[in-house]
Amino acid sequence: MFEYLLSQLVSPVFWQLIASGVAVGMIYGVIAFGYQLTFATSKTLNFGQGEALMLGALVGLTVAPYTSYWLMLPVVAAFGLLQGSVVERLGVRQAIKIKSEAGWIMATIALGIIFKNLAENIWGRDDLKFPPPISEKPLSFHGVNVLPMELVIVAGAIIMMLLIELFNRRSIYGKAVVATSNDRDAAGLMGINTGLVITFSYALSSLTAAIAGVLVAPVTLTGATMGSALGLKAFAVAIIGGLSSGFGVVVGGLILGITETLTGYYFSTGYKDVPGLLLLLAVLSIKPSGLFGKSAIKKV
Amino acid sequence: MLQVENLIAGYGKVQVLQSISLNVAKGQLVTLIGSNGAGKTTTLRAISGMITPESGTIMLGGDNIAGLSTHQITRRGMAHSPEGRRVFPTLTVADNLELGAFPRLTGARPRGEVKADIERMIALFPRLGERRQQLAGTLSGGEQQMLAMARALMLQPEVLLLDEPSMGLAPRLVEEVFSTIARLKREKITMLLVEQFAAAALDVADYGYVLENGRISVHGPAAELKASPAVRAAYLGAAH
Ligand SMILES: Nc1ncnc2c1ncn2[C@@H]1O[C@H](COP(=O)(O)OP(=O)(O)OP(=O)(O)O)[C@@H](O)[C@H]1O
Ligand SMILES: [Mg+2]
Repeated sequence: MFEYLLSQLVSPVFWQLIASGVAVGMIYGVIAFGYQLTFATSKTLNFGQGEALMLGALVGLTVAPYTSYWLMLPVVAAFGLLQGSVVERLGVRQAIKIKSEAGWIMATIALGIIFKNLAENIWGRDDLKFPPPISEKPLSFHGVNVLPMELVIVAGAIIMMLLIELFNRRSIYGKAVVATSNDRDAAGLMGINTGLVITFSYALSSLTAAIAGVLVAPVTLTGATMGSALGLKAFAVAIIGGLSSGFGVVVGGLILGITETLTGYYFSTGYKDVPGLLLLLAVLSIKPSGLFGKSAIKKV
Repeated sequence: MLQVENLIAGYGKVQVLQSISLNVAKGQLVTLIGSNGAGKTTTLRAISGMITPESGTIMLGGDNIAGLSTHQITRRGMAHSPEGRRVFPTLTVADNLELGAFPRLTGARPRGEVKADIERMIALFPRLGERRQQLAGTLSGGEQQMLAMARALMLQPEVLLLDEPSMGLAPRLVEEVFSTIARLKREKITMLLVEQFAAAALDVADYGYVLENGRISVHGPAAELKASPAVRAAYLGAAH
């Protein structure tokens, strides 16, 4: 048994699985990062985050033929900003105002279902193939095959999160976002329109999901239902990582992505969701604030 | 500069302020004193829009600001150093100060020299200088209080509302806070000061209002209030 494990550690297959696990995990991480963005400013989150990802991918698929994959990214980003603002205005703002917990949960789930139906009607029920922007020929590192798109996913996700982090730390508007997360009333006293900050955090959260959508689309199938499972798993990741930590959700995403791919290969794809969910249950019972979190989850 | 007339405000159905009127002339330091729960903080919150007044007018430099939201009122030049300091704990001292100038940095108020003003604040509160890159949440209570005052001053406000700037401070620091307030007064900053140390507040102020159960019971020039037997008995006994 031990020798078997050891032999696996040096096998290229193992490392190949790790590589795809990291790529999938980064996507979970990005979506969970989006949950954390809105949770920070408003203690609410968009349960339709998976649908924001799906819409991003489908809009990207529609736009890409007219330009190129890379020029399509800003269009998808703009669409994400708009879509997130709509979710906040329609589903969340009123609930925050009257301090209703059930309100925003129901409203964002409902909007997610509406977006899914909308997508089914516009793009159909069948999964579509997203043309890959770069070569699909695997790159080989010491016998370990990695898809170029997997590298793009990881790099894209990291760049996106770093840019947001940089914005928060350096620009005065980013600091206004952090101030709103710290103390909404006091931020208002600084002349910050905190309602607008919350709308913005929803817009940014959907932007990250939409971009994540066009990043994964070339390696998965694209369609109206592609977001549901991703959104749910990313929610688990957000809980595992802790909703108060941007770093935590990335680590949480990687943990889930890697355990999934390994389980899928070594046991059975039928069981691939089990370890992640067991981990979720373990975290919830041992450290409910998440592995890296303060005490955020009790509010959800 | 600031004129409040027949202000009625409270929390939900609980009415705390029963028709308050007060006036702060340009360049004046006016103090609002009263016992715990009298409604001092509520008055400042209503003025800066943290709670929406039920009725009454609040004139700031000729405009009625009653009913505007907090950020709009701040952008018209009302700075409020709130009860309990409320600094931003996960941001540095420097970032907290910069955020005080948010309306200036984003075009809502004349920009001036924000960087130079941060240096001026640090000259005014030297302790903050040593802690510039420290997170505000790691400051001591006294340091946080100074940061809260400095942050409010960064607006270059038309009116500065100070809610118990001496709360919870050691006696030496209380003295320091009062001498800072005296200095701001010499610089002609218009201030409305809420204080538990009524005697010290009346010493430094031009004019005073006494708040009792949500009503102004007495008001007058600070020196007169301080000499008044009724005020002495009710508010100056213990604190002096
Ligand atoms: N958020 C709130 N919700 C409901 N009632 C409140 C709230 N804040 C204050 N009150 C009530 O309003 C009244 C006035 O409170 P306020 O804080 O204005 O008093 P204060 O004069 O500032 O007292 P202190 O000297 O203790 O700071 C009190 O009876 C208080 O219980
Ligand atoms: Mg008070």
